[in-house]
Amino acid sequence: MNRIVPLLATAGAVAGASVLVYALRPLAPDVSLGVIYVLPVMGVAIAYGVPYAIGAAVASMLVFNFLFLPPLYSFTLEDSENWVALAVYLGTGIVVSELAARAKRRAVTAEQRQREARLLAEISTYLLEGRRLEDELDWIAERTAEILDVHEAEIVLGKAREPKAHRAPYPLVAGATQVGTLYTDERSEPQLDVQQRFLPALASLLAVAAERERLAREALEAEALRRSDAVKTAILRAVSHDLRSPLTAIATAAGTLRNKQLALDEGDRGDLLETIELETRRLSRLVANLLDMSRLEAGAAPPEPELWPVDDLIRQAIDDVDGQDRVQFAPNDAPPVRVDAAQIERVLANLLENALKFSTPQAPVQVRVTTTRAEVIVRVVDQGPGIPSAELERIFDAFYRHGSDGSGAGLGLAIARGFAEANGARLWAESRPGQGATFALALPAVSTPVGIAA
Amino acid sequence: MTGQRVLVVDDEPQILRGLTTMLRGAGYDVTTAATAADALASAAAHPPEAVILDLVLPDGRGTDVARELRGWTEAPIILLSAVEDEREKVAALDAGADDYVTKPFGVDELLARLRAALRRGAGRADPVISIGDLTIDVANRDVHLGGRRVRLTPHEFDLLRVLAQNEGKLLTHRALLREVWGPAYQVEAHYLHVYVSHLRKKIEPDPQSPRYLVTEPGAGYRLVDPRSI
Repeated sequence: MNRIVPLLATAGAVAGASVLVYALRPLAPDVSLGVIYVLPVMGVAIAYGVPYAIGAAVASMLVFNFLFLPPLYSFTLEDSENWVALAVYLGTGIVVSELAARAKRRAVTAEQRQREARLLAEISTYLLEGRRLEDELDWIAERTAEILDVHEAEIVLGKAREPKAHRAPYPLVAGATQVGTLYTDERSEPQLDVQQRFLPALASLLAVAAERERLAREALEAEALRRSDAVKTAILRAVSHDLRSPLTAIATAAGTLRNKQLALDEGDRGDLLETIELETRRLSRLVANLLDMSRLEAGAAPPEPELWPVDDLIRQAIDDVDGQDRVQFAPNDAPPVRVDAAQIERVLANLLENALKFSTPQAPVQVRVTTTRAEVIVRVVDQGPGIPSAELERIFDAFYRHGSDGSGAGLGLAIARGFAEANGARLWAESRPGQGATFALALPAVSTPVGIAA
Repeated sequence: MTGQRVLVVDDEPQILRGLTTMLRGAGYDVTTAATAADALASAAAHPPEAVILDLVLPDGRGTDVARELRGWTEAPIILLSAVEDEREKVAALDAGADDYVTKPFGVDELLARLRAALRRGAGRADPVISIGDLTIDVANRDVHLGGRRVRLTPHEFDLLRVLAQNEGKLLTHRALLREVWGPAYQVEAHYLHVYVSHLRKKIEPDPQSPRYLVTEPGAGYRLVDPRSI
């Protein structure tokens, strides 16, 4: 530490006191004014510690003797009483300086401990809020550096690491385990008592936080595992149902055709063959759906957008589904959209297939198109039982089935939403139970390019 | 053929169509329904002589339909079930269904089950029942296997009698326990397994591969004539 400043300050304080003594001389006997020098001694003791204070006391005594005690301007004394006074002043100065310095030390220590406690409280508040320990380490290290009075500090979690260049490692140990290591720059040495007091407390706190995080992570992993098991079971159930229904229809039709004892006419045979064809198509659609689903989940189905009239996409989708005679659609020159035609046709076909399950010739499915400034919205409206509001979102989950009746696609709506979102479109369900369900597909509108404008 | 009326209940249109064609080809008169409500309405309007019932329907459970029907008709009910519907299948059998086939089923299998169910009618009340080489004298509680007398304990005899009076019909664990041991024992399935194994040792030519007393895994037992299979 630089010594010039305390020395100058000490000299200044003694000089100041001397000026004060000089000024007060008309008011009191010279000898008694020596007590004024206690003031600079005390000030120096508080500011710079006992050694400087003793220096100040000795200097004060000499200056007082030299300037104010007869014979003036010499270090000798003519009156032996003045010797006693001078000795008392010196002793008083030294004792006072020690007391003042001790009080100062206490105040400093108290403040230091308060800072440490405040930092620990702050850390625990942050970590209890569930923040990630890793994310908080930087500011914790920065504040720890302030507490330890070192220039730089870094905290690394985990068991002892390799030493770092120009860094002094301090292990953070809680109980028997090392939580991590505090690295400080090797030039600044933290105070020993602060180290011994603060670092174990910090280590315990970090240990609790790390343990908390580990438990939370494990709970999360267990939950994810449980859910993936539940999903697998759901997939197996759904796929086995969706496979079995067409297989049963095909097996029944084929078995009936083969059985020589059954009396079948040409119409019957035609019906059974048609059943086999239809159900074979249904099976291959299921397989395609499963493949699409896995491609969507793997992000392996990038759309290839082109400009298409919405009406054409809808017409094509209607052609793709069985039961198109139960679909009502009046084209009305809706504006074009820029989408992957194959994918959006799949979206619409899946919506139609879903709606057709709830339709009859008396209650057909309706397709309506509306246009807003930003979007072209296609609505597929059925007159089925509708969807409870609690399920409006869940029906888009893969393998979610409405109710527990075990029928339904399970995949169709999930794929529809996957393709819709891949094309920048929105897909949602609207329904009031008992009033049929509406599926709305909002495709982003294209500002009509010059040259195609109608 | 006789033109007996069969009600077919399934929500899959193509399965319904295949079954209808098959059953008409076999000489039955067929009515169809796609929902539980339709099934009950149709059965009330045109009482069927037999019902083929899908276990899972869009508006309810096949079990409930079976229970409703049993309230007023003895017409045999054959369930169409899936492998994973095991519990529901047993519940439906307990509720009064007579038999089941598992999807996808063979056409011959379903037709055979249907014929057997229709033949059984309301059960047999004969004083002496013959099944294969087994002769069961119900009145005198006497059993002979190929002319040789078989000694049975009272419970073993009652078990055999109930099975024989419902020859060919699948009886659930619960139904057998109720008939033989009484309503208080309906859940004690292990009693039943022990008695069945004792009974097999006495009446089966080879108790390890039973031919008379057949296990329907997870559902129950049935007594069949080995020569009729």
